[in-house]
Amino acid sequence: MDFKPAHNPMILRQGWPVVIWLSRGLGQAERDAVLGDLAERNERVGRAIVDVFGLVVRRQAAVLSDLRLWVALAFLILPVSYLLSAIAQSAAGEGAVYSWMYLNNWDWALTRYPGFWYVLRETAMHFGIGCLALACCSWSAGLLIGRLPNAILRASRNAFFVLLAASQFGHAPIRMVQLWMFLHGHLWPSLPDYNAPVTANVFYRVFSPWIVLAAFVILPVLFGIRQGKRSMLQSRNMHVGLVTAATIALVILLIQAPGAELLLGAAIREWLWRNRDAMQWLPLLSCWPMFYWIAMCFGRYRGARQQQRDKQIST
Amino acid sequence: MKIRQVDFRRIMYYIVMQMIGEFEYLILSSVARLGANAYGASIRSEIEKATGRRCSIGALYTTLDRLENKGLVRTWMGEPTPERGGRSKRLVQVTATGVKDASYFFKAITRISKGASWTSNRLTTR
Repeated sequence: MDFKPAHNPMILRQGWPVVIWLSRGLGQAERDAVLGDLAERNERVGRAIVDVFGLVVRRQAAVLSDLRLWVALAFLILPVSYLLSAIAQSAAGEGAVYSWMYLNNWDWALTRYPGFWYVLRETAMHFGIGCLALACCSWSAGLLIGRLPNAILRASRNAFFVLLAASQFGHAPIRMVQLWMFLHGHLWPSLPDYNAPVTANVFYRVFSPWIVLAAFVILPVLFGIRQGKRSMLQSRNMHVGLVTAATIALVILLIQAPGAELLLGAAIREWLWRNRDAMQWLPLLSCWPMFYWIAMCFGRYRGARQQQRDKQIST
Repeated sequence: MKIRQVDFRRIMYYIVMQMIGEFEYLILSSVARLGANAYGASIRSEIEKATGRRCSIGALYTTLDRLENKGLVRTWMGEPTPERGGRSKRLVQVTATGVKDASYFFKAITRISKGASWTSNRLTTR
């Protein structure tokens, strides 16, 4: 349609971008209707800001009264954000120790020993698989979050990131173990910090955990949420399969979490210890998204080729 | 087999037999008066003219949603217009249930107001 912004002085006023930015908290259709109403009535910017802000607050408050949000928070968002943060902190700690060993204490003389290369290869493989499994679990968690109903999706997503940051700031895994020991009448032993030279470095202590969290948790979760929203359009069997696989990945994540074994019974702990060799391969199971992505790429490639062939035949 | 969706909010509304509120009544009356021209901005102007008070967008849109959930109004998005900055209107129409509930509210208000000191047909008592 022939739309000229100059028709309405409201749009040219200062502060209108603030109104537009605030209105992002509304759904697309409602946002359109509200901004249109404000423009038509040529409302003062200050009043428009108050009005839109008021509506956004009312909408968010309405979401809080939705029981589905609290169920999602209790059974998905809270445990998953804690677990992912715990494993990311553990991976970051492990990565920091090895990085410090190899990068901060590099000695060319060591490269002459085959043992050095063997250990380096093993370490890199172990760390790489751990990070890959973490990214895949995060993607699976994002997929489940993305499958939540639209009405609570935004609030759930925001709650997930807030809880993730809170777990990261509060060193949640250590606090959890301390709490567990306290509840069972034990005191936290004051052991010497063997990694003190590593944690003395600001990069390893402050930045490295956040880099690992951003790269292997936040980004995959965002991609997973996008995929979860898209999977609503896929066939029923397909999305039942995806949700089942994602749930299994999160159960595996629970077993891997530091301190999780404390929550399990003695019999399960003993069984896990006896089968520890087999359990080492468990993280690989949570890497199912890799196969899914490969299958998706292959499907897209085949679709594109088929389209090309159809075009050739039609010409 | 196609399963019919059940709207539990609407069922609950009929079970508890809630009467509409005064702001809901104001909206229903404005929408009925405006007819085909009933949408956010025009309803606000109508309410502000009638009451002499400001009507906030938040109150209007949340109440419209509530009325729609109760099945008293029907809303849909219209065509974008230049005077609205190329944005669509949310058009509103009162349903048959809405007409019934609004007239029930009006009758109740009229009945209860009889004899009150501020009504013109008040009963004088000695």
